[in-house]
Amino acid sequence: MAADPDTMRAPVLPPPRSEVGVVGWMHANLFSSRRNGALTLGASVAVLLGLWFGLRWTLFSADWSVIAQIGGLFVIGQYNTDQACPGNNCFWRPQVALLLVTMLLGMIWVVAGGGVAKRIALGVAIVVAAFAFLPYGFDRMGLDVRVLLLANLPALALGWALARYTPLGTTRWIAILSVATFLLTLLLLRGLEGVPGMQPVALKDWGGLMLNLLLAVAGIALSMPIGIGLALGRRSDLPIVKLLCVVFIEVFRGVPLITLLFMSQVLVPLAFPEDFPLDPLPRAAIVITLFSSAYMAENIRGGLQALHPGQAEAARALGLPGWQTMLLISLPQAIRNVIPAIVGQFIALFKDTSLVYIIGMLDIVEFSRAFIQGNPEYLASARELFIFLALVFWIFTYGMSYVSGRVERHLGVGVR
Amino acid sequence: MTTIPRSLTYQGIPIWRHVRVLQWTSQIVSGVVAVSLVVWFFVNIGQAIQERNIPYGFGFLSRAYQTPIGQHFLPYESSDTFLYALGVAATNTIIVAVVGIVLAILLGIFVGVGRLSGNWIVSKIATVYIEFFRNVPLLVQLFFWFYILLALPTVREGYVIAQSVYINNAGISLPWPSATGMGGTGLWLALAALGTVLGVAVHRWQSRRESLTGRTSYPVLYGCAVALLVGAAGWVAVWAVLGEPPFVISDPAPQGTFGRISGGFTASAGLLALLIGLVMYTSSFIAEIVRAGIQSVGRGQTEAASALGLPPMKVLRHVTFPQALRVIIPPLISQCLNLTKNSSLAGAIGYSDLTNVAKTMTQTAPAVSIFVLIMLAYLGMSLTWSLIGNLYNRHIRFEG
Repeated sequence: MAADPDTMRAPVLPPPRSEVGVVGWMHANLFSSRRNGALTLGASVAVLLGLWFGLRWTLFSADWSVIAQIGGLFVIGQYNTDQACPGNNCFWRPQVALLLVTMLLGMIWVVAGGGVAKRIALGVAIVVAAFAFLPYGFDRMGLDVRVLLLANLPALALGWALARYTPLGTTRWIAILSVATFLLTLLLLRGLEGVPGMQPVALKDWGGLMLNLLLAVAGIALSMPIGIGLALGRRSDLPIVKLLCVVFIEVFRGVPLITLLFMSQVLVPLAFPEDFPLDPLPRAAIVITLFSSAYMAENIRGGLQALHPGQAEAARALGLPGWQTMLLISLPQAIRNVIPAIVGQFIALFKDTSLVYIIGMLDIVEFSRAFIQGNPEYLASARELFIFLALVFWIFTYGMSYVSGRVERHLGVGVR
Repeated sequence: MTTIPRSLTYQGIPIWRHVRVLQWTSQIVSGVVAVSLVVWFFVNIGQAIQERNIPYGFGFLSRAYQTPIGQHFLPYESSDTFLYALGVAATNTIIVAVVGIVLAILLGIFVGVGRLSGNWIVSKIATVYIEFFRNVPLLVQLFFWFYILLALPTVREGYVIAQSVYINNAGISLPWPSATGMGGTGLWLALAALGTVLGVAVHRWQSRRESLTGRTSYPVLYGCAVALLVGAAGWVAVWAVLGEPPFVISDPAPQGTFGRISGGFTASAGLLALLIGLVMYTSSFIAEIVRAGIQSVGRGQTEAASALGLPPMKVLRHVTFPQALRVIIPPLISQCLNLTKNSSLAGAIGYSDLTNVAKTMTQTAPAVSIFVLIMLAYLGMSLTWSLIGNLYNRHIRFEG
């Protein structure tokens, strides 16, 4: 190329081939130096070997029949067994509860205006409906079960339409309906004496993933307000209130959850009068919630501490009373700043629900473990089983951190 | 306008609007509620103890525990007392916690630095590792490793490496130093401790010299050499004077028809699964802490160091990491606490940690007392970790 005749300057050359496009990317990210190139080669060999052996094991050596054998029991545990539900006709109840949840998701989709809510709602409904086509015999998975699974699609549409075309599509109604759905779910699962088809199922027979999700939802919903209360108490100027909150937080944070859960089974029955109506399950739920609130309080306290005092001062200068300053100015910003920590705590809570094995509840993990212990022919498939469980938990927890990432971006955290 | 009777005002303000009155009322109310709840609980517990004839008190501590403990690091017999058994269990927990934390920190730094690597494949591997192990319940991971170890062949058909390492479904047995006589062993341990102290002193001395004069002084080399020399000299001296070395290597060997392994050190399947699970799980959290810490160091620091011609590893070692430590230490302490507390899941896979032993004890001893003891033990461990962390934190802050 010749020099530009007007300016007599050297022409602007295109970047060298080795610095743009695929080659450039590889040069920058894989082979930027001799050491880096060696690292790339070594890591690639390791990944390929891992993939090769992993896939070979997954496809040819592993025996996944234990997953198919447990099947729907992963979700409900021993809820529908003879001893929990005489007549074995209780499976529809968790299914109807799921329909309610799907409906609610449809409504949230509209209120949130699409985005991640739409993806979650559609994903849940489609995946659940797809379970209707699992290749089980009809003796194992009846037509009614399949129809109720498929009904999640119309339920989603119904929720969507309700929110779109009736006055129910507001945040306030969603909040009310969420609580109502949770209570209805509890009622459905517990049953009602005297109502046909709704024979009571004892709390100790609830199990499976259903139990993990119920404990997690209750814990998440309650630990947030309790945690905020504790955080405010710990920051307050009132010495007695502060002392109580500090003692509570530090005791609950200093002792393992499993010890607390076990204590709730041995000590709490002593601490209450003998006829106090408190089953092991609600006791465990309370302990998990309180444990989580102690951690939540510390997260929120961190958010409040990081907040510039000018915010509260400006609000006070505008004449807002103290509680309004806290509720409308400080807390929203503090919580927004610590969303990752809070969601991390939610995830920890969900993972911790697997600890209820210590009080003899059969959640998804303990049910599966009891299953292979009770059926020694599947003992050799323990690896497959726990890999499956890990994936189930991973989908939920990763989903939670994905949603939190989207919410954070939506709220513009870190971008001012 | 209605006037408020003077008796309902304080300093001319209605009492339900007076800040100080409100504050004190809320304090007193919350205090009274909390105290009366606690008192109510204790009265109930006292009643339950009397009415239901539940044992109480701490007299049981001097009774014989009469129950075997699976793996234990301190010598233990079933005839030992409850108190000693609790000590054995606490040692089990502490050993897992300390070994686990050291390994988790090393692995966590490795993975965290890997995630920030400029190499695309390495950073993706680290990301997958973190996202997987962080998001799966520890219990599931523990069961996974435990059942894998249980699926190994039995002791008689297990793998043997060089006639000294035995790998089977009872765990892994390794050759292990075994103390010969208390006198010689104790003496040598004291000498070795002295050597370590001297080594550290020499290291400090040499690094001071290096930073003052700029002359290359090999502080690590000299320090290690002094420590090793003192240790070796002590070994030879003890051997020469007492006629036996302070330690001999004890090789594991199968014995009896079932091939029980004796000698050496056997890490049970439960202990191994617990360690692997805890280390993988915690290291994924530590990796994220390390990454956040390194990212918190201004980019100018790295660029300036590179501009001075330092290679990437030296930039990390001498410039980025020391500064990142200040951000890393506080959350790292809470991960140490978490690992210690998470080790209480050991019971699920048959390792006798503090919680597991305490749980078994409640069948033959007063539950209330045992809970008081183990809560104090865990709170003590938490405080110790916080103390260590805070001391270290202060140390690095002073140097900076």
